[in-house]
Amino acid sequence: MKGAWAWMLAIPPLAIALLFFVGPLLHLFWVSLHTSSQSELYGAALTLQNYGAVLTDSFYLGIIRRTLGVAALILAISLLIGYPVAYFVALQPPRRRMIVLLLLLFPLMVSNVVRAYGWVAILGRRGVLNSGLRSFGLIDAPLDLLYSTEAVVIGLMTILLPYMVISIANTLSSLDPRYEEAAQALGAGPVRTFVHVTLPLSTPGVASGMLLVFLLSLSAYVTITLLGGPRSKLLVSMVYDSVTAFQWPRAAALAFILLALALVVTALILAVLRPRRVQGMGR
Amino acid sequence: MLGPALRGVCATIAFALIIVPIAIVVVTAFSPLDYFEFPPRSLSLRWFVEFFRLENMRSAFALSLELAVLAATLSSVLGTMGALFLVRQRGFMAGVLQSLFLAPLVFPTIILGVALLLLYKTIGMPVFAGLVVAHCVIGLPYAFRTVLASAQALDPALEEAGQSLGAGPLRTLFVITLPLVWQGVVSGWLFAFIVSFGELNAALFLTGPGLTTLPIEIFSYLQFQGGQLVIAAASALQVGLIIVMVAAIERIVGIGRIIRAR
Amino acid sequence: MSEEPIDVRLERVRKTFGAVVAVDDVSIDIPRGSIFSLLGPSGCGKTTTLRLIAGFEQPDRGEVTIRANKVTAVPPYRRDFSMVFQSYALFPHLSVAENVAFGLRMRRVPRHERATAVREALDLVQLGAHADRYPRQLSGGQQQRVALARAIIVKPAVLLLDEPLGALDKMLREEMQVELRSLQQRLGITAVFVTHDQEEALTLSDQVAVMRNGAIEQMGPPREIYERPRNEFVAGFLGASNFLDGTVLARDHAGAIVETAAGRIPASAEAAVGSKVRIAVRPERVRVGPAGSEGLPARIRDIVYRGPITHLYMDSAAGSLLSYQQNAGAQAWQVGDEVRCAWDAQSGVAVVAERT
Repeated sequence: MKGAWAWMLAIPPLAIALLFFVGPLLHLFWVSLHTSSQSELYGAALTLQNYGAVLTDSFYLGIIRRTLGVAALILAISLLIGYPVAYFVALQPPRRRMIVLLLLLFPLMVSNVVRAYGWVAILGRRGVLNSGLRSFGLIDAPLDLLYSTEAVVIGLMTILLPYMVISIANTLSSLDPRYEEAAQALGAGPVRTFVHVTLPLSTPGVASGMLLVFLLSLSAYVTITLLGGPRSKLLVSMVYDSVTAFQWPRAAALAFILLALALVVTALILAVLRPRRVQGMGR
Repeated sequence: MLGPALRGVCATIAFALIIVPIAIVVVTAFSPLDYFEFPPRSLSLRWFVEFFRLENMRSAFALSLELAVLAATLSSVLGTMGALFLVRQRGFMAGVLQSLFLAPLVFPTIILGVALLLLYKTIGMPVFAGLVVAHCVIGLPYAFRTVLASAQALDPALEEAGQSLGAGPLRTLFVITLPLVWQGVVSGWLFAFIVSFGELNAALFLTGPGLTTLPIEIFSYLQFQGGQLVIAAASALQVGLIIVMVAAIERIVGIGRIIRAR
Repeated sequence: MSEEPIDVRLERVRKTFGAVVAVDDVSIDIPRGSIFSLLGPSGCGKTTTLRLIAGFEQPDRGEVTIRANKVTAVPPYRRDFSMVFQSYALFPHLSVAENVAFGLRMRRVPRHERATAVREALDLVQLGAHADRYPRQLSGGQQQRVALARAIIVKPAVLLLDEPLGALDKMLREEMQVELRSLQQRLGITAVFVTHDQEEALTLSDQVAVMRNGAIEQMGPPREIYERPRNEFVAGFLGASNFLDGTVLARDHAGAIVETAAGRIPASAEAAVGSKVRIAVRPERVRVGPAGSEGLPARIRDIVYRGPITHLYMDSAAGSLLSYQQNAGAQAWQVGDEVRCAWDAQSGVAVVAERT
């Protein structure tokens, strides 16, 4: 739509996006630059202390390291499992592929708390795994599987796996089969065709899958808390704790450090994979 | 590549890992005992009865429903407006605007929750309204995306044809454009509803005394009250609701459309 | 020249998109009841010009007038026109009858009158039986006719058509060309249409404007622009043409004699004696005779049979020559034959050469 009329359509959603998305975030950033206060939300003086304190504190740095480590592990595993699964899905005939993708979409719509609860039920002391192992006589006392970083990785990885699969599968299934045929006509066997043609052409899907999984793993507070417990806190837990302690400037600074991490890794992934150069080269 | 057999095995494992946790929760909801047992000896609805008996559970469920309906409707209206505006625009500003509307999809909602909480405290926003607005912002990209996909599939000449026959911009919108994108609008509403109903990260900060959503209620039970199986029933209800909604979307729009809107 | 009033006037209209000049200082007058076509290659500005008349684009400079009303600042839904789009743009959610009735509905014509008008319009395009069908159930040709009915039912001051027959196959296209022309004449509607097909333009139009790079290269009735092209581009766009360079040797009552590298040829150039000219001759005007007869000497290089005519490709000292021979059972030529090419003076037209 063109002209003045068109702008009338644009203004309401734009206003909401600016007032309740961009605005609050800018405000949050502004708060992160202030000192704390006991009586007000935040103090009057401007400071970089909030950032400084976090980035020089070994405790926080350890948390950041652990957060990145967990995210990296989740990325690696979901890529390793996700790519072959995506390949499998992409090879299905269209009708069946749609049903499979729907099956993958459905868990994403179930609230994270329910899915995390499922893993609690599996890994808990009286959970499925322990009950099963005990009834088979493999162990005497229940294993402490929950409340660990490992549990977080497993749980979060399975929760985010569908994003990776759907992303890669969509890209793979929209690839022009003639690229692979051209490669084979030039003498490349199945392995070389995959490595030199299919894999590079699937980078847009891999990149968007990785970005999605990474960003969501950074912010999955509920899953991290339920599966990690008080001893496996990650950066996002710190944000929550600061808020409940009414330490607004601290919470704000932690939030933006989280965002900065997200941005840096995003840039890294995009720089390494460079999905732009093959974008739009599907069918 | 790795051979079809390996791919099939991978796929089976992956699907199991993804679906099994949810299945276990749903099965647990029907357990007649006070604790989880697998395989269950019999099925019982006692936990569903218990769910509806508990005041806080009932009101959390009701609140989540109300919230989701309101937020989805707002998201839908705003998302439709944004999509119809952007569908024929090109250029840098159009790209920026589209990124803005889609941003809440990947943006950590927990940070948005913190930011909104600060804002609400500063301006004194009532709790429920604050939740509605937050979920409207979070759901907007879903509604925006589906309507955009529908609108992009339209022949641009259709609106011009309407104008050549005397239909002004408003009549064109209501008589030509909207009837042709209604599937995108409805499926967008359903997606926004599902997102709001299950949303946690922002609601974590924005709920208040007496005003909690169902996922938050489930979360606090899990954190502080351990093995009460009533939350399994709550979860099963949520899963059931989602199945019904996805089936509705499939009916209206068809499987293909849902997948492609992703 | 008709005494009809001017229905559509474009005065020095200019439209740019960023750095690209799509329509460059174009002026057109279209009299009532005539068919005017905009002809040219992709990107020449013909569609933009049409859209300027419709109001889907606003000119940077100049005026658009429909039936003596200056409509430059008027939005499309308030201009007196209707349009047949390249993709037909039939509303998929409305039936054929509802599609056709749409314009009348917008004009608040009462239901009873609408129904009658729709029936008549559909009968006019022979689709009366399909009134309750939906566009997706119709063939391309049928959809095109619905689009036409929808556009003419509102009795517009001008009917605009954007490559209306482009999506049809050759036979259907020729059928529709004839139908379109007879419909237009029966109803007396002023029509402007855009095409890249020169045959279509020649068949349908009263006037043709050949466009290139946003400007009109030549405007006139079909016969005039075909037989008396002004420059090499127009000559080449409207059909095949032979081009011969030479110098004007003399003038006589028939025209001019031009000296070329292969010999003397007749032409109807107006240039002065001694000036350099490029002469364009249509292949169907080139008569081919045996060696010894009058004309430019040439040798047959290739013979291509094309059904009703045969193409003779020849080489001469003045360049290649092409002649269309009607296959009426006459001369059977062979590759390598020495022949002579001749034509009447008025068949040789001086054209402005392309700057290379």
